[in-house]
Amino acid sequence: MNTSPPVEPVLWDDWHPVGEMVQLQRTAVLHTMLLGVPLTLTLAADGSVTATGAPHGSPVPLPHVQIRYGLVWLCLGTPAREIVDFPETRESDRVVCTGGSVAVAVSGLRAVENFLDLGHLAFVHAGYLGEEPHTEICAYKVEPLADGGILATQCRVYQPRPSPMESQGFDVDYIYAVRRPYIVVLFKANPVEKERMDMIALLAQPVTEERCVAHVLMAYPPHNVDVASLRWFQQLIFGQDRPILENQLPKRLPLDPRAEISVRADSSSAHYRRWLSAVGVRYGAVPVAAA
Amino acid sequence: MNRWFAVSACGEVPHGQVAQSQLLGQELVLWRSAAGALNAWENRCPHRGVRLTLGACVGEELRCQYHAWRFASGSGQCTHIPSHPHQKPAGTIRPQVFPVFEDGTFAWVNLTREAVSPQRPAAGIDTALRSIFARAPVAAVRQVLLRGYADQSVGLVDEFTLDATEYALRFMLQPVTEGQTIIHARLQGEVTAAKRMTVLRHHNVLMSAVRDHAEAAA
Repeated sequence: MNTSPPVEPVLWDDWHPVGEMVQLQRTAVLHTMLLGVPLTLTLAADGSVTATGAPHGSPVPLPHVQIRYGLVWLCLGTPAREIVDFPETRESDRVVCTGGSVAVAVSGLRAVENFLDLGHLAFVHAGYLGEEPHTEICAYKVEPLADGGILATQCRVYQPRPSPMESQGFDVDYIYAVRRPYIVVLFKANPVEKERMDMIALLAQPVTEERCVAHVLMAYPPHNVDVASLRWFQQLIFGQDRPILENQLPKRLPLDPRAEISVRADSSSAHYRRWLSAVGVRYGAVPVAAA
Repeated sequence: MNRWFAVSACGEVPHGQVAQSQLLGQELVLWRSAAGALNAWENRCPHRGVRLTLGACVGEELRCQYHAWRFASGSGQCTHIPSHPHQKPAGTIRPQVFPVFEDGTFAWVNLTREAVSPQRPAAGIDTALRSIFARAPVAAVRQVLLRGYADQSVGLVDEFTLDATEYALRFMLQPVTEGQTIIHARLQGEVTAAKRMTVLRHHNVLMSAVRDHAEAAA
């Protein structure tokens, strides 16, 4: 099946989400794909999950499968690091749930970049995560994370309905952390507990270079939240993003800064693209052409 | 390729409307400003690559659906970036703009940026027929047309009382991609209102037959 060059180790030897447990519990078997490799996930009676796939030609059992955070995780190569950690999910009073898995005909890198993007909120999510005339994006800070990735802080946006529990608008503080090339976490100021933040992670499963499944993981402080509302709200919001994402040309994310014009509001996007280049991510990207 | 291609009947892109087209593999947004100026641009916002056909015409500007950047009719120059509303956008921000020309009945596009509009007189009174999409290369469509347009649907012409030679018929083939063609056609000369629907239906049947033959040959 492989006519393309092998997938770079930074992706091949890492863990990726490949399915949502609530879905697998309904169907027992799930057919999906990771990095171009077709997979079959099977839920056993004891609650464990096995995976088969054909990373090198003929189908074999895949040894590196784990269930964590309500998602099935898989590594096709030799795991070089742990599954990304979400410490908020271990705070016992938080409501932790997945948000539904949505197939999107675009590179997962485009989906991550859209999740990082502040400028579209007033338009694509008008009435929920933004609203005219509150369109201005004030300067925010972007810096590298110690163990790889980037951190964007001091982001602030006016939101008319920032979560399923709110009906009043207010200025919301945002922090973004890109933890892996295909995984980004958003922390939003919680309206009740000022020192805790809502956590929403977007975990893109790279299906092919131009297709992904967007998984969502949430961990909210326990104030007027319930799983059904959280899932409904995420799916509503992501349903607004999806037609935009599926109409981006090219479908892969261009890493050359000259390929698409960026302004100051796109600082996190520009840093993200630079970081992807620096760590050698090519899958799902249009790499910078060699000089 | 410095050549003009018909891409649409003028009336298919009304004032304030946005349409999608494709020429030689190049995706286009065709849009007409409120004042009536027709634009043919690369169908891609220079900011984050979203198809501009998702956007909307706002007066003399096209607004992208993703971040509501606005681009001026004519030059394509970006006029407004809502995330920085108090700054004038850099002069270099614009989608690729292609030369466009209207002859009164059809809109023509040239993918060569510096192409000069042909100084053809406006035909004015021509009637645009319904354009037909064919999954066949231009050469296959042309061959079918040259073999004889009216012969494509034997029987129907005989049943048809209209004298086809009454109007000169002109075809314009739009190469969409290598294997796809849009067949545009116009009747030169005025068709009376009484005959109009009959004439259009007649040619719609013939042109559909051309498509079927070209697709069968391709």
